[in-house]
Amino acid sequence: RKTEIYSVELSGSGDIEKTDKGHDKKYGGLKKNCLERKTHQPKEELKKELDLDDHKLSNEELETKYGTNIITGLSSTRAAELLARDGPNTLTPPKETPKIIKFLKQMVGGFSILLWIGAVLCWIAYGIQYSDDKSSSLDSVYLGSVLALVVILTGVFAYYQEAKSTNIMASFRQMIPQQALVVRDSEKKTVPADQLVVGDIVEIKGGDQIPADIRLLSAQGCKVDNSSLTGESEPQPRSSEFTHDNPLETKNISFFSTTCLEVSAPPAGTATGMVINTGDRTVIGQIASLASGVQNSKTPIGIEIEHFVHIVAGVAVSIGVLFFIIAVSMKYHVLDSIIFLIGIIVANVPEGLLATVTVALSLTAKRMAKKNCLVKGLEAVETLGSTSIICSDKTGTLTQNRMTVAHLWFDSQVFVADTSEDHSNQVFDQSSATWASLSKIITLCNRAEFRPGQESVPIMKKAVVGDASETALLKFSEVILGNVMEIRKRNRKVAEIPFNSTNKFQLSIHETDDPSDKRFLVVMKGAPERVLEKCSTIMVNGQEQPLDRSTAKAFHTAYMELGGLGERVLGFCHLYLPADEFPATYSFDVDTMNFPTSNFCFVGLLSMIDPPRSTVPDAVTKCRSAGIKIIMVTGDHPITAKAIAKSVGIISANSETVEDIAKRLNVAVAQVNKRDAKAAVVTGMELKDMSPAQLDELLANHSEIVFARTSPQQKLIIVEGCQRQDAIVAVTGDGVNDSPALKKADIGIAMGITGSDAAKSAADMVLLDDNFASIVTGVEEGRLIFDNLKKTIAYTLTKNIAELCPFLIYIIAGLPLPIGTITILFIDLGTDIIPSIALAYEKAESDIMNRKPRHKKKDRLVNKPLAVYSYLHIGLMQALGAFVVYFTVYAQEGFRPSTLLNLRVEWEKGYVNDLEDSYGQEWTSYQRKYLEWTGYTAFFVGIMIQQIADLIIRKTRRNSIFQQGLFRNKIIWVGIASQVIIALILSYGLGSIVALNFTMLRPQYWFVAVPHAVLIWVYDEVRKLAIRLYPGSWWDKNMYY
Amino acid sequence: MRRQLRSRRAPAFPYGYRYRLDDQDEVNQNYLADEEEEAEEEARVMVVPDLEEEEEEEEEGKEEEEKEEEESQAQETGSAWWRKWQIVNEYLSDPEKRMSLARTGQSWRVMIRPFAHSLNFNFNVSEPDTWQHYVISLNGFLQGYNDSLQEEMNVDCPPGQYFIQDGDEDEDKKACQFKRSFLKNCSGLEDPTFGYSTGQPCILLKMNRIVGFRPEPGDPVKVSCKVQRGDENDIRSINYYPESASFDLRYYPYYGKLTHVNYTSPLVAMHFTDVVKNQAVPVQCQLKGKGIINDVINDRFVGRVIFTLNIET
Repeated sequence: RKTEIYSVELSGSGDIEKTDKGHDKKYGGLKKNCLERKTHQPKEELKKELDLDDHKLSNEELETKYGTNIITGLSSTRAAELLARDGPNTLTPPKETPKIIKFLKQMVGGFSILLWIGAVLCWIAYGIQYSDDKSSSLDSVYLGSVLALVVILTGVFAYYQEAKSTNIMASFRQMIPQQALVVRDSEKKTVPADQLVVGDIVEIKGGDQIPADIRLLSAQGCKVDNSSLTGESEPQPRSSEFTHDNPLETKNISFFSTTCLEVSAPPAGTATGMVINTGDRTVIGQIASLASGVQNSKTPIGIEIEHFVHIVAGVAVSIGVLFFIIAVSMKYHVLDSIIFLIGIIVANVPEGLLATVTVALSLTAKRMAKKNCLVKGLEAVETLGSTSIICSDKTGTLTQNRMTVAHLWFDSQVFVADTSEDHSNQVFDQSSATWASLSKIITLCNRAEFRPGQESVPIMKKAVVGDASETALLKFSEVILGNVMEIRKRNRKVAEIPFNSTNKFQLSIHETDDPSDKRFLVVMKGAPERVLEKCSTIMVNGQEQPLDRSTAKAFHTAYMELGGLGERVLGFCHLYLPADEFPATYSFDVDTMNFPTSNFCFVGLLSMIDPPRSTVPDAVTKCRSAGIKIIMVTGDHPITAKAIAKSVGIISANSETVEDIAKRLNVAVAQVNKRDAKAAVVTGMELKDMSPAQLDELLANHSEIVFARTSPQQKLIIVEGCQRQDAIVAVTGDGVNDSPALKKADIGIAMGITGSDAAKSAADMVLLDDNFASIVTGVEEGRLIFDNLKKTIAYTLTKNIAELCPFLIYIIAGLPLPIGTITILFIDLGTDIIPSIALAYEKAESDIMNRKPRHKKKDRLVNKPLAVYSYLHIGLMQALGAFVVYFTVYAQEGFRPSTLLNLRVEWEKGYVNDLEDSYGQEWTSYQRKYLEWTGYTAFFVGIMIQQIADLIIRKTRRNSIFQQGLFRNKIIWVGIASQVIIALILSYGLGSIVALNFTMLRPQYWFVAVPHAVLIWVYDEVRKLAIRLYPGSWWDKNMYY
Repeated sequence: MRRQLRSRRAPAFPYGYRYRLDDQDEVNQNYLADEEEEAEEEARVMVVPDLEEEEEEEEEGKEEEEKEEEESQAQETGSAWWRKWQIVNEYLSDPEKRMSLARTGQSWRVMIRPFAHSLNFNFNVSEPDTWQHYVISLNGFLQGYNDSLQEEMNVDCPPGQYFIQDGDEDEDKKACQFKRSFLKNCSGLEDPTFGYSTGQPCILLKMNRIVGFRPEPGDPVKVSCKVQRGDENDIRSINYYPESASFDLRYYPYYGKLTHVNYTSPLVAMHFTDVVKNQAVPVQCQLKGKGIINDVINDRFVGRVIFTLNIET
């Protein structure tokens, strides 16, 4: 069925048969999908089945069925009725979560629920206090309100960040309303395409998008680009004839959202069709709904963050409850115990962390957007980093998605043409006279033309009217020969036979540009074997030689070789008509063929391929070294797919498929041990017969896999198979057929330029430059952000212990409270915010692209060593340091540590206004309160100073700080400056605002914790040194997070 | 504007910024620090208080204030921050002026006895149970003031001047006698019920001890009580013991309990001999004298104490 186009399949009928079968399979999945839908919506599906008969019906039957008239079209009123019944001709956008739900989710997600509980407990506590004593202080109300405010603010912030990144996509997706030319009330009208209804008669010109599923009524030389539906690069011919039982195969139906490339024939160069399906009932609509049916799974980083939240919340709640019980059994008032509980929760929950993570992710998203990776959901930023398998579409992703001349064969030699994006480097030998002839044929026997008005556009980017092959040839010759149009003008065309499926060749007759040569030149191109049939001589080095057996063999060898590369091969020949028989006035008639069509002189072969992008092989190599397996999944032919896979390195140069081994050893395929083959090329047909277990085995045993001729449904199966291997799967694609797989993948990557809207909306990431190499950038950024988030979390968790210990010691040892809940919030949401974001700017410690992707169940974001080291090592050291500051301040003021022990009860009695300190001085309750606030400030400053050291040590996890460079990340220093400045403002600027509980601290107290900060640094350097010295040791396993 | 500024500043600097500067700060630190040299220097400063300088400072302060007032009127918004900056600046650049926490300034903090869970003295004259605990509290408190004990342990030092004792930091200091008998009718010696049985309760006012604190020389600080809110005549007469109703300078400075072991805080007893009965009378006892602050809102024990008497018959 593909024979209308210059034949690709050349190795005999068997191959053609095979691909045809494969083609059947191509739609198998879709049919299956229809069946599946049937079970869900039996009524609609029944109707659907009837609809699919449309291609078999005659025009009259169609008219009856849809109550329309082919000449006059529908009446406007009828059209309006149908529109009301069926709805507009658009795809229902996937259901989006309402904004309010998204917002509320932010409000209760993560730690928010804990903080809400804290806030409510605060208010309840106040309520109880108030009912006991009307004059009770409003402190707990303040605290509750602050907690609520914190939750709301971080929620709003996270929502805003998320919305911002979604908006980028929304603006990106803006669609230009499409117009359709429709016959209604006997008049041709232009209406928006979404107003179309079944039964409408539409006219389609070359270049139009098909506005709905239509049954063609009249069309000649119509070709459509189905690549977004099937992934085939070649244009598919369409006519009004019924050619196949399968509605998806038959020529007289063309599908919504595919593009009509050209319509050649009269009348007026249009094709006419009747709309048979609109909106979601179109084939594309069904695939789109298949996509929306796929559940969006959680992102890996989302899972990690959830895991982390569970750990922290678990610690918070269990310590909180434990100490609640301890407090109650120590005969504390229950109300006080509740206040302790709240304090413990607040101390344990890193309030600012989730906001920080959001910011860090959005920073990376921004950075990636600059490198042409647009990320839709913030969490998807990291997913690429954890990706272990990339299922890549071929067309448009790995390849340039345009036919390009790849090889030439003339003078019994194969020449390689430059297939890079700009074609600039054509190095093959152009001195031969054969080439002169060949180039002339290429130039003249070509109907494609540049669209006017593109003088300043580089040749390779110029828009062309014509099919893909002709476009390729036009551009090829334009690059090498210069102005093609001028050459054509000089060699005026006098007659032409366009390509058709029976001839399988194209022929044109020209005057020559040599004024002395009055002969006509007949040039021909077409399927090589057909062209060769018409030749009796062959040109070698500019000389015509008789075509003998050996030259014919050479021709066949070259043809096979180029065909084996998955390339589309064309043959070229010419004939100079003798001037005496065909004088200048001779009138050529293409219908009667009053000129010779045989005994041509064969000039050469030329093969074309949709070549890989020049950046892809390098990107594939990088992915390989990063431990990422790349699987090609395409709707295209196995030969082409394999050739491209080989040329980009998806199948590496020295690996073989089972078939290759069989061929090499000259044994049957069945005799080859499948495990010997590293590579595998699997067709959709073979895949259909596989059980999930067999697929798993295939995926596990072959490192280089190409799936060809696959249907959308099968892409989904492949993705699921990969996910069963515990892999994090990225899928790239651009067509509508890719959208279900894009949705199913852990991260779907759509192409920004060639990608269909369906693909873009299903994807999590859009490559703005369609460049596979951008994925490598994404992987790198993703891995970096994962590492840096670890650092951020480690940094943030550390101080939780320093915040928590005061409460525990307060309860157990009865010291005056060392740090207040509000003060803790000032650390979590004040001094610590910018530094923890600064860690997101940290450079990679080692080459992250030479590492295996993380195992999603083993390499957690927050693992045991991280928690233990942060909480119990650095955290406890920090707590100690902060307590030293606290005790220093109290001692200097008169309360020695021994006096402080169990002082709490007396301390907090408001009616004791002459409490004695260690020196016999007496303190009123307000004085004590003021001292307590000074203690808060001191403890706060103590933590802050040590957090500076913590920030510096968190720059690296394995390397020494000096290896990493103290000053490479400037943002870290901004962070440190912000910490100090915020603390200074709190102590000296807001010292007079009572509610904040900060006082002016004597300058010397700021330095008490400095030795502890240095100690933390030294301790961590020792840890890192030991890890570097003894890799794999107990220490490495337990101290490396 | 000015008033606003003041009240906003009040919580953070409840003791005002006009407090008299003193070196007692450092004295206290010396109890902790081992820097003996410094201690010696400061000891010298302690002995020779430079009165003139202090006065000058005060005048300067007033002038500054006036200037600032003009400024603040000129630029209302900026001035608040400007003032704040000045305070911070003063605080940071001049360690001598650094406000300490508890001992900030030279404010007197006072407390009363008998000690109870609240400052409301409710009792029924005819029901001893309602006032017995006050008597017990007072008796207990005054044990350390017994004349015999005072005579045995402490010295009788000359009134009207500081009782300054030079010498090593860790040398034991002597304390001045404050005999229970100074309190006359409120000593509990003649009336063991401290007047509670007759509806004429005694309340003792004492100053919170501050290491190194020395009140202003000159006229001694006087205690005076009156009705805080309501009818002035609810309290018709109060007797103060000692009759001067003041704290003598000889009880200052305090050297801290580690060396000043037998120090007894001077007291002023207030004998409410004629108070309206059967109703709550809010009483405010204030210290009056040069440089005394007695109107701080946050700390209601600075230079004053407020309590209520509700004597039922």
